[in-house]
Amino acid sequence: MLPKFSYVRATSLDEAVRLLSSDDGARVCAGGSDLLGCLRDQVFECSRVVSLTGIDGLRGIARTRDGGVRIGALTTIADVAADPTINQSYPGLAQAAGELASPQLRNQGTIGGNICQKPRCWYYRGDFDCLRKGGTTCHAVAGESEFHCILGGAGCFVVHPSDTAPALVALQATVRIAGRRGTRSVPMEEFYVLPNQDVRRETVLEPHEIVTEIVLPRPAAGMRSSYHKVRARGAWDFALAGVALALQFSGNRVTAGRVVLSGAAPTPWRSREAEEAIIGKQLDAATAAAAGRAAMEDAVPLRRNGYKIPLFQGVIEEALLAIGRA
Amino acid sequence: MRKEPGSRYYVEGIEVPETPEPRSEQEQWTQTEYVGKPRPRVDAYERVSGSAVYPSDTYLPRMLYGAILRCPHPHAVVKGVDTSEAEKMPGVRTVISAFTPDDRATQPHSELIHTTLFSTRCRYEGETVAAVAAETPYQAWDAVRAIQVDYDVLPFVSDERRALDPDAPKVHDEGNQVAPTDTYERGDVAQGFAEADVVLEEIYRAECEIHTPMELHGCVAKWDGDSLTVWESTQGVYNIQAGLAGALGLPLSKVRVVGHYMGGGFGSKLQAGKYTIIAALLAKKAARPVKLTLTREETYLAVGNRPASNMRLKAGVKQDGTLTALEYVGSGASGGYQAGGTSLLDWLVRDLYTCPNVRTELTNIYVNAGPARPMRGPGHPQCAWALDQMMDALAEAIGMDPVELRLKNVPTVSQARGGSPYTTTGLKQCLEEGAAAFRWKETRAAIAREGNTNHLRRGVGMAGGLWAGGAGGPPSTVIIKLFSDGSVNLNMGASDIGTGTKTVMAMVAAEELSVDPDAIQIEHADTGTTQFATASGGSKTVPTEAPAVRAAALDVKRQLLDLAAGEMGVEASGLTLKDGKVVSIDDPSQEREITALRSLRRRRSITGVGYRGPNPQGKAVNPFAAQFCEVEVNTRTGEVKILRFLAAHDSGRVMNRLTYQNQVFGGITMGIGLAMTEARVLDGDQTGKMVNKNWHDYKLPTALDVPADMTCVPIELEDPEANSVGAKGLGEPATIPTAAAVANAVYHATGVRITNTPITPMRLAQALADARKGE
Repeated sequence: MLPKFSYVRATSLDEAVRLLSSDDGARVCAGGSDLLGCLRDQVFECSRVVSLTGIDGLRGIARTRDGGVRIGALTTIADVAADPTINQSYPGLAQAAGELASPQLRNQGTIGGNICQKPRCWYYRGDFDCLRKGGTTCHAVAGESEFHCILGGAGCFVVHPSDTAPALVALQATVRIAGRRGTRSVPMEEFYVLPNQDVRRETVLEPHEIVTEIVLPRPAAGMRSSYHKVRARGAWDFALAGVALALQFSGNRVTAGRVVLSGAAPTPWRSREAEEAIIGKQLDAATAAAAGRAAMEDAVPLRRNGYKIPLFQGVIEEALLAIGRA
Repeated sequence: MRKEPGSRYYVEGIEVPETPEPRSEQEQWTQTEYVGKPRPRVDAYERVSGSAVYPSDTYLPRMLYGAILRCPHPHAVVKGVDTSEAEKMPGVRTVISAFTPDDRATQPHSELIHTTLFSTRCRYEGETVAAVAAETPYQAWDAVRAIQVDYDVLPFVSDERRALDPDAPKVHDEGNQVAPTDTYERGDVAQGFAEADVVLEEIYRAECEIHTPMELHGCVAKWDGDSLTVWESTQGVYNIQAGLAGALGLPLSKVRVVGHYMGGGFGSKLQAGKYTIIAALLAKKAARPVKLTLTREETYLAVGNRPASNMRLKAGVKQDGTLTALEYVGSGASGGYQAGGTSLLDWLVRDLYTCPNVRTELTNIYVNAGPARPMRGPGHPQCAWALDQMMDALAEAIGMDPVELRLKNVPTVSQARGGSPYTTTGLKQCLEEGAAAFRWKETRAAIAREGNTNHLRRGVGMAGGLWAGGAGGPPSTVIIKLFSDGSVNLNMGASDIGTGTKTVMAMVAAEELSVDPDAIQIEHADTGTTQFATASGGSKTVPTEAPAVRAAALDVKRQLLDLAAGEMGVEASGLTLKDGKVVSIDDPSQEREITALRSLRRRRSITGVGYRGPNPQGKAVNPFAAQFCEVEVNTRTGEVKILRFLAAHDSGRVMNRLTYQNQVFGGITMGIGLAMTEARVLDGDQTGKMVNKNWHDYKLPTALDVPADMTCVPIELEDPEANSVGAKGLGEPATIPTAAAVANAVYHATGVRITNTPITPMRLAQALADARKGE
């Protein structure tokens, strides 16, 4: 059962920001597919739901003047997955969007909501004392940690659930944010917060701030991107291990680019070790395997997620070999 | 027939039938017009359009909503319940708990243990502590949250593998073993192992699964004076009636249970829940109807599960494929109360393959978790997971084809029943015809030829199976009314749990009465208006009810032909029914529309009664199966794609080709859940609470986990001895071999044997990595 809350459908960004600022218990609602679950599970208090669906201009995909693309925060995941420009210029993002959740949720969920999701940790979502909820312990440490992180954990060991976020980090996207003090832009790579910085939040967003759009830069020449995801079942599931690639090629050789992991860490996790292992090289079997090993060098599994090390090695190898052939 | 005296004018001149004796077995159908053909469900429109009224769709005037406060701890003593705040909240009409005076009803967990409705010692997370009825569901839940409970939290044990350790916390003060270990023995296993050329031993485990039917457990309860009516989502209205009457001390006649539509049960809706009794008590106390539907989370905790099963199997085989010995040690988690933690967990070892020397032992163990309930083929899919993986390993060890090894050991009698013959056994045909249709040999040869060295590896696997039930049997009483306009009313007590029972029964009645099945109106699953039937479970609904329906239809037919004989001047034995007409067998030009029979028009209707006769003496009636599948495994990631499934089933006569196929595909889907995705996860090392009690974290297979290429091959053996329609059960056998077949295919593809369900990428990626290290 949902708790008691008031519902306000804002008609402008200013109004939405004002509604968020004037109530400590206010929460943003875009598609609602994550918020409603959080409310039902009583993950956090919520006295006011501020819907963004009445605000013009937050939806849609358009070319920017410098040849990039802007995606309104309320654009549905289904629209992102199907968009011809995104499929052509940023296939990694289209693949990530298409692999996400289920058709119903892709029709309902938005790209802005997707990158702002709350963690799916079952201790966080469930009826448990939890550091991230203001409690004293992280039950994942001595508990059922099969879906938890192997990199970047400190005190709290959630993984970030988004599939689109690692693709956006790899593609060097920027997030546009509106708030009480106007608007600001944050590179996707700097949008997320690790538990050792602040265990109570996942992003740099202030409570009064709203993601309004995501801007992708024009793809560099020779850019290829992809997203690979392994999950416990065929649909409606988050990544056990995923990898977003955005690599620049010169001939067969990788000249630059990013390797970003999902299902590995409390944030989308850029593996500089894997990037180093491939830049300047051709993606042959040995290089792909070496990159997989390099990505896992610093991994520290918990009691139940040791499988993630061979799994990440496997999916990274698979993704690199596939993009090398593309 | 007897003539009524003239004083009773309203029946004057009308022949009134006496209730007939149970009829002798009828001849089997040779040619059929309806039975066995593909026929869409009689209630398809209602189900798909949403106009079918399920218990969860039932709304009564002035109805209140109930909600239950459940213990959040796996083991705790309730020292006090303070409901004073809750009682004052808006909309709240009544609150009951172990500490309110009038709520002492007990619930039988077994013959030995009765507990009060609201426990003061909670033995599992989700035990009922208090309940509220309020004007709206939100008010009820707000009130539940306002109830203060003083718990004394006790140490718990979640894992049945540790529960018998001397220092394990005691679920019940007498100890954690539910009953003495159950043993079975035939022959001499030591001798059998001595005769074997190869002896293998392996430990298998099947994780706990939750039924999770689409429709939540729940009911609506309404009192009229001292009579209670309950609309319940159930597999058997008479079981609910008995449960309510027993708990509330009511005569059966005062309890009416209605269960027309229901959204799935799989064994978890065979009995009255505590929630059923709570709803009745709340309704009584509030003097208003009460609807009580559990939340999805509650159903994960408190209404049953397929228990976790641990199985150690040692098997001996001769080089020629003769099984010499099977030794099997199983244990299972009963949960917080006595339940079937090891029900039928050794049956396949005892009975599926020929083996002279068998020894099994089963130990049922208490843990602090929700009690088990039967789930689609209790014990069997788990036992198949062990036995049929072992058969695969034995076949490889002696260099024999897995199908050949099974064919070498097909029994003709039920070994576990002291050698009783089966009325029919199609195991051999299932194996042979299934393998041929699957192209088993050709596919294995092709995979071997291609070398299978790529990182994407193909494999095929198969498993055999039988179901210990599936015979059906008495009692069942069915009434059929033929109206003077030729339409038919079929009245039966059985529930249609989504399997197509109503459709099959309409087809059976239509077959005998030669009317269109659409002309048959079905009234069912209502203790107030239909006759006694056992619950729909155990794959016995068709073999139980179809013969009773046939008998009732034949009773109508006999009376109708008697009436027609008088009018047409032809012996009844020379008449038959065809397309709504009475027709002379010898002279088809002599015919009369049923609606033109004057005596029927005067009498308005003919009522026929049918009973389910006894099963054959000294013979076993069981369904058999063999399933085959092909997989592709990504050895880098441990991802398994099931490419195709083929299921050959001997369930006797096919009654409706469409619902037959539905059952088989549904069974395979559920078996894929066991094999690939499903497992209850308890936080056993810390809080003992379930962490995945929702449809996202508890992973049922999705459409993308089930192959589009599924084939159903019915092995239709004539079985005149089984019952008068020759059908055996199908629902459970359809899910029994599935998981083992998948595991065998994964092994064939990778050389890695996963002995613990489910075969997730997590488990397989690790196992493949370990195997690479070992190379």
